Amino acid sequence: MNEVVLEARLVKKSFRSPDGSEIGVLRGANLSMKKGSSVSLTGESGAGKTTFLNILAGMESATSGEVLWNGKSITGLSNSAQAKLRGKFMGFVFQNYCLIPELNAVQNVELASRIAGKFDSEAMKRARELLSSVGLKNRMGHLPSQLSGGEKQRVAIARALVNLPSVVLADEPTGNLDENTARGVMDMLLRLCSDTGASLLLITHNPDFAARTDVKVRLSNGLAEEI
Amino acid sequence: MKWWLYIAFKQLFPTGKIMSFFAGVSVLGVALGVLGLYGTQSVMNGFHEQIGIKLRDTSGDVIIRNGGRAIRGGKEIVEKLKAMPGVDKVEECGKGPVMMLFENVPSFPMLRSYDTVSDECAIPIKEKGFVKMGDIDSLDDSSIILGMRFAGARGIGVGDFVEIYSPTLLDKIRADEVPMPVRLEVVGLLNTDFSDVDSNVALVSLRRFRELYNLGDMSHEIVVRLKNGDGASAFANFLNGDFLKGRMGAYTWLSSNENFLRVIKTEKVMMSLIILLIIIVASFSICVSLYTSVLRKTREIGLVAAMGGRGWQIAMTYCVQGFLIGVCGSALGLVLTRLILDFRDSIVDFILGRETLTEFYFFTRLPVKYDLYDAVSACVFATVLCTLAGLFPAWRASRLKASEAMRNE
Repeated sequence: MNEVVLEARLVKKSFRSPDGSEIGVLRGANLSMKKGSSVSLTGESGAGKTTFLNILAGMESATSGEVLWNGKSITGLSNSAQAKLRGKFMGFVFQNYCLIPELNAVQNVELASRIAGKFDSEAMKRARELLSSVGLKNRMGHLPSQLSGGEKQRVAIARALVNLPSVVLADEPTGNLDENTARGVMDMLLRLCSDTGASLLLITHNPDFAARTDVKVRLSNGLAEEI
Repeated sequence: MKWWLYIAFKQLFPTGKIMSFFAGVSVLGVALGVLGLYGTQSVMNGFHEQIGIKLRDTSGDVIIRNGGRAIRGGKEIVEKLKAMPGVDKVEECGKGPVMMLFENVPSFPMLRSYDTVSDECAIPIKEKGFVKMGDIDSLDDSSIILGMRFAGARGIGVGDFVEIYSPTLLDKIRADEVPMPVRLEVVGLLNTDFSDVDSNVALVSLRRFRELYNLGDMSHEIVVRLKNGDGASAFANFLNGDFLKGRMGAYTWLSSNENFLRVIKTEKVMMSLIILLIIIVASFSICVSLYTSVLRKTREIGLVAAMGGRGWQIAMTYCVQGFLIGVCGSALGLVLTRLILDFRDSIVDFILGRETLTEFYFFTRLPVKYDLYDAVSACVFATVLCTLAGLFPAWRASRLKASEAMRNE
């Protein structure tokens, strides 16, 4: 339970603006996620929450600092190696669902297993079970265009968990949903992460949702502080 | 199945649909290109083959000539040639233009002799039933067989009489003699389905021809038909060696019509090159469509990268789509080619009219010959081009950073 699954040490990130000047977004942010815990990351718009998440996920490189997955540094790894590890280690839920329109619900969930190289009968069974647990048992063959926003996000949650990841990174998963639907999605996300033992890093603007996580972190002035 | 292959298939053949619109249009474009290329090549092959058969049927496999002069001692040469293995028929032959009068209207057919005594003919007149409305066996020294199109154009039928004036009549005029034409009865009409012959040639007996041209027992050429027509070149080379010893020349039907056949081959190459442009244009269109797909699906590409997809795998998604479009388009193109060419008679009748085909070409039916090499090369070319068309979009997709792609509006 005390094992640290995701850690950021003194992560700095700056961007170069068109006039050549440096814009510092992260100025030495630290984060430590224990196994099975949930962490909310809040902050003002433009504080660098998504940038921090991308760095933690290995999708963006930090200017300096280190990121560790299960205690191993990913900072020096190639993009290809990071991608390979990411597929097995992490699951993602995005604000705009990001479902493949040509695939139906169950195929979208199974896609994560295919990419991770873990597509077998067990993965297929798990995909169906996850979709059932998010209340989409009768919608497995439906295309994304035939699903509501809340249903699409539930498919995305199932997809994020199908590989039994150590960490789920959710970037404002309820941002496009109405209040009731958002509440239902949030409940589902927290419950399923708890059930599967996955740690959850949740970026959210909603203080109620942030309050439901084990650890609350606020990103401000490029630094992450626990509140 | 690898995930990138799976995604490529799904983008072309989405769940719940037979095929995406982009895939359908692209496959059709490639299919039309392959149809044009393979169809044209098959027709040109047909022309080449049929013209070859017609030329061989109407001129023989090997022709021995004496450099424009008459051949003496042709009978002995014929006997020696007949004894050679592989030789089917040999005949002494005369060929030359004459003036023909019918109801006071002159015309100038090419006269060719037929040996009515030995009944040996290097041209398969009897075997292929070239004489319609009459009989080759009716031909004698007082009769003539006209090309069917030649006779038809002049309103000459079987039973009519025509007057023949040969060029040697000039000698008689010089000798102060009265040049008298020869009156011959038309006993048959020749139809070889080769317009060049049917519109120009008339047959008379060898004896009558020699008389018209004052040849005595000489002839203009010796025509050989082989049992295996493919050996014509080798046989001609052999004759030109020790047999003829440079006194005369042996020519194959190929070498005698080399320019004509080369023109057909050149036409085939040029038309193929032009039609290749269609496939190239189709591949550019595929490239643009795939690139547009990359732009539209930027966020999905970011998602796949986030889920662990590597750059080269994402690139393969688009390369495979180009390849699949090429393969499907090629297959459809081959099917369309066979379908359309099987119904070519109706199509030609509708567009051109059969008379036009016969008038300007040599055939009553559009000839077609399917060549496996042409089919394979058309398909390979189309598939390679389509795969290459996917390369630039694939490269572009592989370069997308997951974090930037996810922010894409």
